[in-house]
Amino acid sequence: MKEAIAKLGGWLKKLKIRAERPSSDGNGIRKANAEQSGARTPSPFWVIVQKEFGDHLRSWRFGILIGITVLACIGSIYGAVTSLKESAGNEQSDTAFLFLKMFTASDGTLPTFATFVSFLGPLIGIALGFDAVNSERSKGTLGRLLSHPVYRDDFILAKFTASLLLITVVLFSLGFLVMGLGLMTIGYPPTPEEFIRVVLFTLVAIVYVGFWLNLSILFSIRFRQAATSALSGIALWLFFSVFYSMIVGLIERATAPANATSVDQLLSHANGILLLNRLSPAYLFSEATTTLLTPGVRSLGPLTAEQVVGAIASPLPLGQSVLLVWPQLIGLLAATMACFGISYAMFMRQEIRSRS
Amino acid sequence: MRAACRRTIVSLVLAIILGLGGTAAGFTGSVVSAASAVELYTPYLRLSAPPGESITYSIDVINHGSSTATVDLGFKAQSADWEYEMTAGGRNVSRLAVKAGESQSVSLTLHVPLEVEKGVYQFEVSASGSVLPLAVEVSEKGTFRTELETDQPNIQGHADSTFSFTATLRNRTAESQTYALSAAADPGWNVTFSSGGNNVSSLEVEPNAEKSVTINVEPPDTVKAGTYEIPIKATTNSTSAETKVEVDITGTYGISVSTADERLNANVTSGSSSKVDLVVTNSGSAELKNVNMSASSPTGWEVSFDKPTVESIKPGESARVQATIKASKEALPGDYVVSITASSAEKSADAQIRVAVKSSVLWGWIGILIILAVAGGIYYLFRKYGRR
Repeated sequence: MKEAIAKLGGWLKKLKIRAERPSSDGNGIRKANAEQSGARTPSPFWVIVQKEFGDHLRSWRFGILIGITVLACIGSIYGAVTSLKESAGNEQSDTAFLFLKMFTASDGTLPTFATFVSFLGPLIGIALGFDAVNSERSKGTLGRLLSHPVYRDDFILAKFTASLLLITVVLFSLGFLVMGLGLMTIGYPPTPEEFIRVVLFTLVAIVYVGFWLNLSILFSIRFRQAATSALSGIALWLFFSVFYSMIVGLIERATAPANATSVDQLLSHANGILLLNRLSPAYLFSEATTTLLTPGVRSLGPLTAEQVVGAIASPLPLGQSVLLVWPQLIGLLAATMACFGISYAMFMRQEIRSRS
Repeated sequence: MRAACRRTIVSLVLAIILGLGGTAAGFTGSVVSAASAVELYTPYLRLSAPPGESITYSIDVINHGSSTATVDLGFKAQSADWEYEMTAGGRNVSRLAVKAGESQSVSLTLHVPLEVEKGVYQFEVSASGSVLPLAVEVSEKGTFRTELETDQPNIQGHADSTFSFTATLRNRTAESQTYALSAAADPGWNVTFSSGGNNVSSLEVEPNAEKSVTINVEPPDTVKAGTYEIPIKATTNSTSAETKVEVDITGTYGISVSTADERLNANVTSGSSSKVDLVVTNSGSAELKNVNMSASSPTGWEVSFDKPTVESIKPGESARVQATIKASKEALPGDYVVSITASSAEKSADAQIRVAVKSSVLWGWIGILIILAVAGGIYYLFRKYGRR
């Protein structure tokens, strides 16, 4: 992370230098290192990354999305703070891991911060990736760019890296924004474990948003029309975020054993439904974030009475929480990497000279 | 008093000697009076009395003469321990005047000493040549001593109870005595005396009277089962009495369970086992036999002990037992309670151990393998399609 920020800092400096100089590049991406007069010429990869990053940052699309997200997050923090303040005087309220409740608490009017991230995060990912390749192709800039001494894999890697960097910056800013606002309003400093849990949550969110980014890049490679890829990405996002749980609920009711006779039967049914649910990355993400942000969560599947006998309600240590959601994390990471791998392979094998 | 009497006797003797005009005759010499007109009379010449009692004689001094006689009264005892008083009209008297043909009554009080042998003691009352022999038969052997007795010198009880003995302190001396009470108990024992509801350390007893004293004995906490004798003493500078009380302590039963390092938590990975060193301590004062170890654990867990039964634990000692706690495969990560009980026939104790279950990291490694496989696939793609 530090490394990325350091690179970013360096890039911002370069951007300033470039802004001072009369800009000659238009809409497309152009190789700029020929004009660079520095002693060390940056590799084409980083140049593309910087350019992409800057384009995204200045685009209306991103501005609107980030505006919505920031507003939503501030609203959710406000809700969390008011609900925390209400419960502060309550004797029964648990003060352990109070700071984490900033991310998971809600006063009922607005969803929690974690919910907003899981809902709006994919949208950012899709918005950053849906026209990554096909717009370049349709504008003809792809062929022009690749006629320069730029490796083809540098192009696709840089597209991905720039977007992921932007997502990282956005999510960390949001996460730290929540932490800062929380510190200011509730005046309760986080413990190191809470801090690490928040950072882990942010990293998982980056992976999750990265998955949607990769998926939309994949669509942008597969579909020649930017509108098609955007719509397919948004359709999938809506399907997994909203409709999938409904459909699974429907299946659950339809397949529920009529006469609940044995525990095994019920258990196998519940496990089957859980497996169906876990096919959705949104569900995996919600499980991972719930466990990371709520240390009291000890199990994600159905529980038998035997497992609960003798158990004491106590928060899990961080390592155990991570171990509990390790399959979810692996699943998200693997899905993200697989999407990237497929889009990479697809792009590398694609005919790029033709416009359509 | 006695000395005063003696002095009177001596002065009397002197007076008589002088009176008789140098006749070298003591009291023994004047046993038989030659021509005395004075007669001494009392009806009871030989009486029986126990030691410590007082005998009062009423002696009539009769003047058979024709003129008023002046009579000097004398008393002679065999041993000086006997005390007497001769009174008339409420006062001590040593010389009488008896009119002719009349009689005067004199009262003689004789105190039988406490410390006296059984037997017959002779006395003589003399009055100007007339002698009245008296005899006192002491019916029993007299004492000068103190008695301290308990009706019930043995009490049985637990180590944590207070033992109360009732003792009677009798003063068999002629004088009022102040007794210091003391107990020669082992260190740690607490012995207190109380009389009339108050704790006392000394007790005053009138002569020939008795007082009851309560002896409270508190054994130390660490006392072992057994019989303990505690000598109790009541002493003055002249007399003392001693008795013994016996405390029979039946052992208390106490047992406690803890771990070797007093930490009541353990870590275990679900599906595998962890060892906990338990210490079973006999905190009572009696030996514990056949201490059974048992555990109540969550369903699917197994708790085994290397020594399921400890044959015997002596008081104050402890035994070590190693427990192996095997968590169920289905155990959730987090904390569970395993309660371990050590029970003998008399007493049982339990220790609740908080067991933190950790999930197995096996699946974690499998996950990392999956990620590595995916990363390997991407690397393969890089190698195959890269740098075009």
